[in-house]
Amino acid sequence: MGLCYRSSIFCSTALLALLALPAFAQSDGFKPPEGPVPRTADGKPDLSGVWDHPFVGDMTKSGRNQVGAGELPFTEWGLAEWKNYNAEDGDSTGACLPHGLVRSINAPFPVQLVQNSKYVSFDFETDNWFQVVPIDGRPHRKQIPTWAGDSVGHWEGDTLVIDTVNFNGKTKVDSIGHPQSDQLHVTQRWTRKDLGHMALEITIDDPKTYTKPWKNTRVFTLRPDWEIMEFSCEENNKSLWEGRIKPPKN
Amino acid sequence: MKIAMLAAATFMAAIPALAHHSFAAEFDGKKSVKLEGTITKVEWTNPHIWMYLDVKDEAGNTVKWQCEGGAPNSLTRAGWSKDSLKVGDQVSLDGWLAKDGSKTCNTRSVKLPDGKSVFAGSSNNDYK
Repeated sequence: MGLCYRSSIFCSTALLALLALPAFAQSDGFKPPEGPVPRTADGKPDLSGVWDHPFVGDMTKSGRNQVGAGELPFTEWGLAEWKNYNAEDGDSTGACLPHGLVRSINAPFPVQLVQNSKYVSFDFETDNWFQVVPIDGRPHRKQIPTWAGDSVGHWEGDTLVIDTVNFNGKTKVDSIGHPQSDQLHVTQRWTRKDLGHMALEITIDDPKTYTKPWKNTRVFTLRPDWEIMEFSCEENNKSLWEGRIKPPKN
Repeated sequence: MKIAMLAAATFMAAIPALAHHSFAAEFDGKKSVKLEGTITKVEWTNPHIWMYLDVKDEAGNTVKWQCEGGAPNSLTRAGWSKDSLKVGDQVSLDGWLAKDGSKTCNTRSVKLPDGKSVFAGSSNNDYK
């Protein structure tokens, strides 16, 4: 089996270069365990584990363990949204509103994946948000739009592909404020490279905001020494209570 | 303390602009502040720890400041705890001022009199 399986992320030259860099090592000197990709009883790669990942505050930029999208192909509406964004007028995550799907993955806190033959659950330490994603190839649900959208998954070889639609459009795709609309369609491609590393490619496809899809890729590191901790954004949000952060207007 | 602290210290300058929510909503990256004072309280809570300090102004009056630090979960993983800084500790704190004009800052670094850094960021700011 070659590594370049159709549109597998291993075909990405940028990601291959990323994985080869010395900077691939963790910033605190931690080295994850070495070994082959573990597999579940049904032969699929087991993505389970507590995973550290780079903080992606701006999905256009590259950095340690991440390759950014570069200049974004805004529509007229999207460009206006981007230019007019002012966090002083309303900062949703600062007000403890949900991060949504993409920002939960971007945020500087770990995520625990727990996988069985039917589901992968994503337990994000960020706001202790979770998503339970069916991975049996079922279609999308019909439901009201939500902060994190509706996710369903299927396998393409050893890559788990998660397709997410039906967002409420109320978040941004990253901390710096790149916009999204309720037409956002996110595709995640998760590929466990070896025991200690997982590659993720996120594709943002939002025809109201961007003229074509764009990607950001990153590498996660297994942290068997970590557990997901409690994270209550609300417990002492002085910045909101004392008026330095304002919630968004809508 | 650990290699992590040296690496993390270099990230401190980048942290405020790249917080998981918007630094710019609350703080002014162009207005630095340097405080010398006494710790009166540490709140080890999410989403950010808070340090309270009494600072003497030029006239010798005590001015109360509050400064936001990192997230307690990340700090815990980097080896810090709520006991890392104690009431009564004398500190030298660098940070950025809040935009609302209050005596509030976002912390860049906190040092004890022997020069030792406390709460030097977290391991998770993998951003250039």
